[in-house]
Amino acid sequence: MGLKEDAMWKMAEKMGMPKSAIEAIKAKQKNGDKSAMPDMGKMMSMMQDMKGDKKDEMRKMAEKMGMPPQAAGMDGNEILGRLNRLSKVQTIKDVPQLTTALFPGTHCPLMGAAMVAGGIDDCLLVIVGTDECSYYTKSLTINERYGGIAGRCVSVVLDSHDVTFGSTESMHKAFKEIVAEYQPKCVMLVTTCVIEVIGDDYDAIAAELTKQYSIPVMAVHTEHFKCEDHFPGLERAITACAAMMQKQDCDSSVNVLGQRMGNFADTELHAFLAAAGVKLGVQLPSGCTAEEIRRAPAAKVNIVVHDIALPLAQAMQEQYGIPYVYFNRFAAPEKILQAYQHLFDYLELPLPAEIGAKFEECKEMEQKVLPEVKGVPYIYGNTQYECFELNSYLCSLGLVPQLIQSNKLSEANFADIKSILAQTDPYICKAANIAPLQYVYDVLHPWFYMGHEFGERLRRKGIALLHSDPAGKMLGFECSSFMLQAVAKAVADAKKFREEAGL
Amino acid sequence: MSLVRFLPTPSDRMGIIWSLLAVQGAIVLEYGPAGTTHYSMGLYGGLGLRFQNRLFTTHMSEDDVVMGDVTRLEEAIIELDKSYAPKVIFVVASSVTAVIGTDIKGVCRYMQNEVKAKLVAFEQGGFRGDYSVGLAETYKLLVRNLPQKDAAQEAGVYNIIGASAWRYRMASDILEVKNLLGEALGLRCNACLCCDTSVDELQAMGKAQVNIVLGNEGLAAAKYLEEKFGTPYVYAVPYGYSGTVSFLEQVGAAVGKAPEPMVLMRIKMKEKGMSMLSMFAMMGGSKPRQAAVKGDYDLVRGVGTFLAQAGISVTHKMCAHSLKAITEPSADVESYAEEGEWLQEIRELHDTLLFADDVALTQADASNMKVLISAPFMNGVVATHLPFMGEKGADFLLEQIQGYYQK
Repeated sequence: MGLKEDAMWKMAEKMGMPKSAIEAIKAKQKNGDKSAMPDMGKMMSMMQDMKGDKKDEMRKMAEKMGMPPQAAGMDGNEILGRLNRLSKVQTIKDVPQLTTALFPGTHCPLMGAAMVAGGIDDCLLVIVGTDECSYYTKSLTINERYGGIAGRCVSVVLDSHDVTFGSTESMHKAFKEIVAEYQPKCVMLVTTCVIEVIGDDYDAIAAELTKQYSIPVMAVHTEHFKCEDHFPGLERAITACAAMMQKQDCDSSVNVLGQRMGNFADTELHAFLAAAGVKLGVQLPSGCTAEEIRRAPAAKVNIVVHDIALPLAQAMQEQYGIPYVYFNRFAAPEKILQAYQHLFDYLELPLPAEIGAKFEECKEMEQKVLPEVKGVPYIYGNTQYECFELNSYLCSLGLVPQLIQSNKLSEANFADIKSILAQTDPYICKAANIAPLQYVYDVLHPWFYMGHEFGERLRRKGIALLHSDPAGKMLGFECSSFMLQAVAKAVADAKKFREEAGL
Repeated sequence: MSLVRFLPTPSDRMGIIWSLLAVQGAIVLEYGPAGTTHYSMGLYGGLGLRFQNRLFTTHMSEDDVVMGDVTRLEEAIIELDKSYAPKVIFVVASSVTAVIGTDIKGVCRYMQNEVKAKLVAFEQGGFRGDYSVGLAETYKLLVRNLPQKDAAQEAGVYNIIGASAWRYRMASDILEVKNLLGEALGLRCNACLCCDTSVDELQAMGKAQVNIVLGNEGLAAAKYLEEKFGTPYVYAVPYGYSGTVSFLEQVGAAVGKAPEPMVLMRIKMKEKGMSMLSMFAMMGGSKPRQAAVKGDYDLVRGVGTFLAQAGISVTHKMCAHSLKAITEPSADVESYAEEGEWLQEIRELHDTLLFADDVALTQADASNMKVLISAPFMNGVVATHLPFMGEKGADFLLEQIQGYYQK
């Protein structure tokens, strides 16, 4: 700490701390009192507020101390000047990145596919890609869910020979070893960027292996240069499971498709289904087996709790005639009520009276929250909710989105976009790039930020943090009430933080 | 292409990035899909590297891949130069850009006129070999691009070449080496490639009186510096007591100074104390005493030699990477083309003192005495004061050896 401590004192001196005070603290420290050490967070904050040469000098000193470099030349107005307004975008290609250089960037679709394979207890995940892709995915899967270090994630690593001459032959050889060693019930053969660039036909290879070894082998393509984040990996892996399914007699069950987090049994939706005596079928990908997936077409209705499962539900509707209900994590109580109504209609059961009561509770809460939140500006990062549905709902409460970050935009979003535009026309950019956002805050001064950020850093700028991770485990009106409470708390926090920050 | 059941050997590209992230004052910009960068944070964080506002990605779209459009890369370079004013931007290729053949060097050449930061291109996308190859390339490129010609030589200053963040407890080893060189020879370290160093230190490499090579991959860089600046180099890795004494003597000879006699005597006394191991050996009767070591080339050689000095037969010196980048590799060090080969050897070990990585240790049976000494390792926190190199490192190794004798 010696050198760093010295630098820290120099920094304190530059910031105007009297030498005598520094010496006094040093003397105290010599006697073992560490309480007077300079607060790094406060110093960083003071540094941000400095102007001119002094700021530059401080920045250099901070870097010497191992602190992250500061973007001294970044300008919030300039960044915003490069962004589009929501009214100007038609496709995801119209949505710009906040900056060209990203940190940390989005998650990889390979990770998404690995998450799905993790939820199918007897599925072997085989990554076909570079050492690097394989290394990171294996690292991610060294846990109980996948069976630990020797668990059900293996890889077939590409070398330069495969890139030049193709990987088919080597894959067949490696797969023989896989079957002999692991005797898998089913296999997800997950291809990565390079395989897609060199053009090896893994759909054909998977079909050959399925035939040869009489086990379902599903090719899942996860090239990241064709998509924005990890969700396509989840979607493709879930959709690939359709190949494992076989026609069954209907047993009046419901399948839950697309739940990534938590236990479905803990949700409000599950409670209503259980009370109505509805049998549960497969829960994909939140914990199921290859055999349960095979029997999934026995369901009377599929409940799609996230967009990632929509293509599978549509395929099952087409192939087995099973209808589906889109039951995402909605924020608007009306949408939740509608989803419950559709579900119970398909189940040919009366809508439980408690559902109506829950709806009324949410509407009452809305009325309570409304006067407090009206006109409050915020920045949307990422949440457990559907981006445009949530923003549309918040607009209906009078909140004002200043900037919306989204990696997804489809035709289905335009109804919600229209209702947002009826209130305001926010900036829009892609997500997962928090470094330059710091400079945008200084221009827009939002009251709160929705998503993953550093709370203390935001607080110093007078901004509250709203993160919605707990809602990832909820379904039904609990999602709506959670959001209303979270927004009310964020607004209350923001009032306090803005005062602290002198805003 | 072969089946990998555990963690694959990191690629050249991974070795390049973890080395470059150790250079303060520089930014690493990856030209490739963002997912790889995001994914890599777990590994680099585990190695103790700081990447906030120092590691960036451009991401890539299908259009960029199909059309070979490098606009994104050009814009990112300008943006980073303006926003962070780094002294150097390392532009690193990805597997995708390596396969499609993007001319990263060419882009850096013409973009150099547009920015203040020095641009250094790394075109390795993961297909030229494993991390050992990447380390050798990084050291070479750094010494070719960064040291300034006008640095006057300073007595008592040295550089370290070949310190890879991937090595388990590398920071401990470097601390031990620095302490020993300070105590025995009064020397001071300038740059350390690549463990907690800076652009300023790399630029001042020419002032060193000697370059100390702690990893075989650094030899080519040391030879280049010898040609360019006339700086001699010493390739010696201080494992074991006699290895440490020899190391201090070689460095002393290079700087024209004899090591402090008290330091040498202290270490030699400890070496003499190893004779008590023969007593444990006698107590063990005819029980065979054998060891296996798995890790980086220099570790395997150095620890192997120390074990032999302690009367233990080293049955396997297992190199965790290929020997492609190793100059004149020792004949008794084994390398493996496929995971299955080393796995079989590890699984066949019994009653052996095994120094290896966490994966290999899980695969050896319980009759073996297991010591974690190399990467990959699973623990999130790594000590920075418990070396394997130098006097303290030898103390630790000796403790393990004694424990094995008493088993």
